[in-house]
Amino acid sequence: MSMPPFPFDPERARAEVEAFRRKLEAGLETLKRVGPIELGITPREAVYTEDKLTLWHFKGEKAPTAKVPLLICYALVNTPWMIDLQEDRSMVRNLLEQGEDVYLVDWGYPDGADRWLTLEDYIDGYLDRCVGVVRERHGIEAVNLLGICQGGVFSLCYAALHPEKVRNLVTMVTPVDFHTPDNMLSHWARNVDIDLFVDATGNVPADVMNFAYLTLKPLRLNQQKYIGLVDILDNPKEVENFLRMEKWIFDSPDQAGEAFREFARDFFQKNLLIKGEVRIGGRRVDLKTITQPVLNVYAEQDHLVPPAASAPLGKAVGSEDYTALAFQGGHIGIYVSGRAQKQVPPAIHAWLADR
Amino acid sequence: MADKPTDFIEQYQAFVRQGVEAWAKQLDPKTAPAESSPVTDVMGRLFAGLGGFGDWMRSIAGGEPPTAAFTGGMPPFGHGPGVPPEFDDWARAANDTLSMPAFGLTREQQEEQQALLRAWIDYAGHYQRYQALLQGVHERANAALREQAPPTDADSMRSVYDRWVNLAEESYAEAALSEEFREVYAALVNAQMRLRVLQQRQVERMAVQAGMPTRKEVDSLGERLQAARRDLRHMQGLAAEVAALKAEVARLRGARVDVKMAEPNRSKRKPAATAKKVAAAANRAGGMKAVAKTKAASTASKRAATTKGKAR
Repeated sequence: MSMPPFPFDPERARAEVEAFRRKLEAGLETLKRVGPIELGITPREAVYTEDKLTLWHFKGEKAPTAKVPLLICYALVNTPWMIDLQEDRSMVRNLLEQGEDVYLVDWGYPDGADRWLTLEDYIDGYLDRCVGVVRERHGIEAVNLLGICQGGVFSLCYAALHPEKVRNLVTMVTPVDFHTPDNMLSHWARNVDIDLFVDATGNVPADVMNFAYLTLKPLRLNQQKYIGLVDILDNPKEVENFLRMEKWIFDSPDQAGEAFREFARDFFQKNLLIKGEVRIGGRRVDLKTITQPVLNVYAEQDHLVPPAASAPLGKAVGSEDYTALAFQGGHIGIYVSGRAQKQVPPAIHAWLADR
Repeated sequence: MADKPTDFIEQYQAFVRQGVEAWAKQLDPKTAPAESSPVTDVMGRLFAGLGGFGDWMRSIAGGEPPTAAFTGGMPPFGHGPGVPPEFDDWARAANDTLSMPAFGLTREQQEEQQALLRAWIDYAGHYQRYQALLQGVHERANAALREQAPPTDADSMRSVYDRWVNLAEESYAEAALSEEFREVYAALVNAQMRLRVLQQRQVERMAVQAGMPTRKEVDSLGERLQAARRDLRHMQGLAAEVAALKAEVARLRGARVDVKMAEPNRSKRKPAATAKKVAAAANRAGGMKAVAKTKAASTASKRAATTKGKAR
C-alpha cells in the first residue's frame, strides 16, 4: 500500500540531508583518529586463576574501610567491564571510593575445551573456589556477594547452597521469575529445542547471543543508534564513550554449551528457580534457605530483565531482611549513567555498612 | 538547481556507498593498513545503519512504504545459508524424489543426503513464514504512521524517521510477544539446527573417510575429561574432609593419652594428687565432649549470628 508522499520542502530537506552528510564526512575523520579502546580502567591484581577464569582484586586510592570484602559475580554472557568502563563511569571505582574492598570474578572467554562445563562446575566449582580464596585471604567465614544479571542468578544459587559462606547478598538486574509476560528473550526461547540447539552449536557463539539481544529492538539498535552517532561525531570524547560501549557489546564470550543448555532449559524454559526446583550438581536450590540480608537492585526501564522478573525475589527468599531498590534507568544505564554513579554504589555501600 | 527534488538523497546514498567501499578496503588484507583502527568493526555497522536511513528517506519521499526494516537478519545467527528464490520451486519438485527408498552399498549415505535436502526444504519453509511475519509487523507500523497526523513541511526528515522508528518498534514488540511469533521463531531456529546437525554429519563422514579427527571425537574426549576433572575435584574435597577428620581423631586420641597418663596404675588406689589430675583429665575428657558441644554450640551460635544479622 502506498503512502502519501512526505510533503517536504525540497530545499529544506536538501539542506537537512546535506548538513547531515557534511557532519558525517567530518566525523569520519574523528573516527580515524580514535586511539585504542580500553575497558577496565581501575588498577587490579589477579589473585587467582583457573582455566579461563581470573579473580581480580581492585586497588583503590585509599585503603578499604569495609571489614568484609565484596565479591562481584558477573554474568557469563558479556565481559564484566561494563562495571569498570571508564574513569567517570565505573561502579567498581565508586565502590572503592566508598570504602569497599572489591573482588571480581571474570569468567574469561570459553573455547572448545570448556564445552562441557556445567552450572555445577561454574557455581559449585569456580565460584566456590573464588569465595574460598577471598575467605582465606581475609581470614573470614563469609563474604559479601554481589551478583549481576545471570551472575545474580548464580549468586542466588550459591547463597542457597552455601549459606554459611555468604554474609550479605546483593543482586543487581537479576531475573528470578523468567516467565513474566514482558520477558521477550524468555518468550522466544520457550519453544526452541535447546538440546538440539546445543548439540548443533556446541559452545553457543557470542554472535548468536548478540544477534538475539539486537533483535529485541532491531531498528533502534541496528539503525537509529548509528544515525544518532553522527550527531556526536564532532565530539571526540563522546565518540570514545560510544566506542567503548560498542566494544563491550560486541566483544563477548561464547557460552559453554552444557551450562547454556542447563540455564536455557531450567531457568528460561521451565522457570525452575522461582519454583524452588532447580538442581545444581544434584542439589536442590531452595531460595527459602537464603536467610542472609538481601539487597535487590533492579532497573525500571530494563528491557532485558524487566522489573517484574526481578521484583519477586523478596517473596522467594527466606530472608527477613530484604531490601529492594528500583533504579530509574535501563539494564546498562544502571552501571554507566551519570545518575547511577551518584546513586547506586553509595546505596550498596550504605546498605552493607548497616549490616 | 537539482534535476529532481530528491536527488540529494541519491547523493547521500552515493556518499554512504563510498564510505562502505572505503571501509571494505580497510578489511581487505591486500590494502589494509598494518595496524587496523579500533573503529574498523564499528564502520560496517555504522554504514549499514546510515544506508538504511537513506533507503527510508528515498521511500518516504517517493510516497512508498519504507523498505522492510526487520529483514536484515535471521535468527539465530543473524545470517543463514541463504535460500535462493528458485529454491522453492526446485524443492517442491524434488520432494517426491527425496522420499524414495535408497538401496545398495551407499544406501546410508543416500538416506543422509535425502534427509539433508528435506531439512533444507523444511528450513526454507520456516524462513518464509518468519519473513511473512516480519512483513506483517512492517505493514502495521506503516499503517500506524499513516493513521497519525501527516508530517508537515515543518517536520524534518529526521523527526519523521524517529517517529516511524517508535511506531515500528511498538509494532514489533507487540508481535514479538505473541504466541505466533514464539512458535514461528522457534520453528525457524529448530529447522536451522536440524539442518546444521545433518550438515555436520556429512562433514564427519568425509573426515572419517579421510582419516581426520572429527568434532564428535573431540567432544567425546572433552566430555570425558570434564567428567574426570569433576570427579577429581570431588575426591580432593573428600580427601580434605578425611584429612580434617584424621586431625580431629588425632587430637581426640591425644586427649585420651593424657587421661591414661594421668592414671598410670589402674589397680592401685589413686593418690589424691593423681586423682586431681584424673579429675582434670576427666574434665578435659569432659572438655572433649564439650568440643562436640562447643562445636554444636558454635554452629548454633553461628546460626544465631546469622539470624541476628538477618534481624538487623
